[in-house]
Amino acid sequence: MAVASLAQAGAEFAPHGEVDQLYAETRDLRLLGFLMFLVSDVVLFSSFIFAYLYLRNSGQGWPPPGIGRPDVALAALNSAVLFGSGATMHYALENWKHGKFTRYAAFMIATIILGILFLSGQAVEYTKLYFQEHVSWAGSGIFGASFFTLTGMHGFHVFVGVWYLIVLLLQSVHGVYSKDKYFGLTAGTLYWHFVDVIWVVLFSIFYLI
Amino acid sequence: MAVAAAHVGGIADHIHPEPQGFIRKYIFSLDHKIIGIQYLVTGFVFFVLAGLLAEIIRVQLMHANGGFVSADTYNEVYSIHGSAMVWLVVIPLLTGGFGNLVMPIMIGARDVAFPWLNMLSFWIFPISGLMLFSSFLMGAPVAGWTEYPPMSLQAQGFGTSMWALAIFLVGVSSTLTGMNFLVTMLKMRAPGMTFTRMPLFVWGQLATAPLLMVATTALAAALAALFMERVFGVPFYDPTKGGSPILWQHMFWFYSHPAVYIMILPGFGIISEVLSTFSRKPPFGYRMIAFSSMAIALFGFMVWAHHMFVAGIAPFLQLPFMVLTYAIAVPTGVKIFSWIATLWGGSLRLTTAMLFAIGFLILFTLGGISGVFLAAIPFDMHTNGTYFVVAHFHYVLVGGSLMSIFAGMYYWFPKMAGRLLNEALGKLHFWLFTLGFNGTFLPMHWLGFMGMPRRVATYDPQFQFWNQFESISSFVMTLGILIFFANVLWSIKYGKKSGPNPWGGRTLEWMIASPPPYYNFKHIPKVFARPYDYSQPLPYKGLEEELTTAKPEPVPAGAH
Repeated sequence: MAVASLAQAGAEFAPHGEVDQLYAETRDLRLLGFLMFLVSDVVLFSSFIFAYLYLRNSGQGWPPPGIGRPDVALAALNSAVLFGSGATMHYALENWKHGKFTRYAAFMIATIILGILFLSGQAVEYTKLYFQEHVSWAGSGIFGASFFTLTGMHGFHVFVGVWYLIVLLLQSVHGVYSKDKYFGLTAGTLYWHFVDVIWVVLFSIFYLI
Repeated sequence: MAVAAAHVGGIADHIHPEPQGFIRKYIFSLDHKIIGIQYLVTGFVFFVLAGLLAEIIRVQLMHANGGFVSADTYNEVYSIHGSAMVWLVVIPLLTGGFGNLVMPIMIGARDVAFPWLNMLSFWIFPISGLMLFSSFLMGAPVAGWTEYPPMSLQAQGFGTSMWALAIFLVGVSSTLTGMNFLVTMLKMRAPGMTFTRMPLFVWGQLATAPLLMVATTALAAALAALFMERVFGVPFYDPTKGGSPILWQHMFWFYSHPAVYIMILPGFGIISEVLSTFSRKPPFGYRMIAFSSMAIALFGFMVWAHHMFVAGIAPFLQLPFMVLTYAIAVPTGVKIFSWIATLWGGSLRLTTAMLFAIGFLILFTLGGISGVFLAAIPFDMHTNGTYFVVAHFHYVLVGGSLMSIFAGMYYWFPKMAGRLLNEALGKLHFWLFTLGFNGTFLPMHWLGFMGMPRRVATYDPQFQFWNQFESISSFVMTLGILIFFANVLWSIKYGKKSGPNPWGGRTLEWMIASPPPYYNFKHIPKVFARPYDYSQPLPYKGLEEELTTAKPEPVPAGAH
């Protein structure tokens, strides 16, 4: 946001021809800044993952007595949905770069729908855990604490991501981005892939091992 | 100043119109220099509050039976004293304060990479500080600044949860500052300002920024878990529900050991600048000082469990942590010897800033040596939880970080205010502070050996003499600090006019007016060499307009 104002200021005050250079430089700054944000987010997830693995290995076996293993089939289906959305996101950005707006919009909408599907799958999983197996966030010991905290944090990131993509789509419809100037879309794609990668780790440590 | 200088060179060489009006200029400012001053002012306000808490501690310990405050209040007082000094004073002053004030100028930039984010970082900071102090109203935390569970889980009232929220927020502010500074230093250096031409203060910030970014986020996770456990009953740390109190110690120290270096690396930078300027010699071993900062930052992530030798971690884990902790003494020692060699044969000018820098060298070395003692597992087991530890970290935090903050204040105050701080008052401040400091904390070493436990409101009568000696010394130290504040308030208005370069400094901030104009540089300078070769012509081009009014040559010694 900071540099958006810089770019605007550039458009207002700099002579023509300099604006492109201004854009290139602000984009570099913003890209690096956005990557820094993702790095710190990775650390946040890593800390909770460390906490989970530490508690998991602190004795008493896993899953703790009285709690069943989480449903791998549902989670695998859900993972497929999320990984699919990563692919559609990739194609959306590629099509934008090649100026194919309709295909871009179609892939964006597909990504958003897949994101919503993932969240719905997670809602189904949470409901089943809570009502059928009586596993809850605060009432099921370290299993409930680590499982719901980590998957919930990830689900929150997907939720934010869905809104992020909707905003990006509306912005691109309204002509905020051009064929050469689309940093917002790059950032959105990076964020979405980041959420994907986090899920690969969470899926492995909660459902596979 | 509303000029739009249209030079080719993009944003780096683009001047914004200066905002008009008090609020945009001084309250919600985007200017890194104003934000730096805001950090300094806010940080020193919290310093006064946390210092008052310290004096409550010292008054309580005047007598073996205490009696000034209740034991519960005493627990609250030292918990908030420690938390505030670490998160609201030392870290913001050294990173947000001095970092904002001079780092962008030193690399030849007009501002940080994301000015709006910078403003946001600042405004989170006083809010979280008020939240931290407001916890006194709802049952303040009682488990010390480390807030180990299960005690922090059992504390009554909302105070401990509020503590977690406040520290989480101030951590967000630190993280954002770290990102902002890192992007600034990586991307916005002036042409020719290669990494090995950067001033050493910038190297200090460059080593600190990744620590702020990475370590603080890990603390955020630990605090979030503590908050969830206290407020919603989600078990992470409570052993009766399968959680682990040791987990908190791992997560907390994974942040808080790097935080120790967050609190000292920028100070190392200040000391390097001050020693070089007032010895009129290039810093000895520039590369070694710069790279050892990076080494310390890297090692800082690998030693956290040395805080946990008595917590019951596996012996096979203890040994590598001990060895790695010893290893950190190597780059630190490289720095100390480089600084001593910088002084060697220099033409020293014993200004107040220089006195604080030399005081830093001695006191920080003492604190570092007791740190090497504490790294040894058997020694640590003997002294853990005693006043020896209190002595150690006050020698590095007060004798190290705070001395460097004072050195930086005397050094850069003219750049902020255009006026010098009074040197006579400054020297009085230095001597009262240094003598009082040593009187307060030196006896704690042997009190610790004799077994006096920390964080206890009363103590065995045999320790009373030295405790009274410490308390009286702490009043002397406080008097020194009061003189400093009086000096600042007086000098803002009546101090001697400094001109752009009162010390004969060679780094870029001394090439421009004091206080600097909104845009820092009329033209972004080109840099040809390191700043420190005092016998050579200035290694900058493009500063001709500034230098005609701001003559860079030093005033002769004794002109202050």
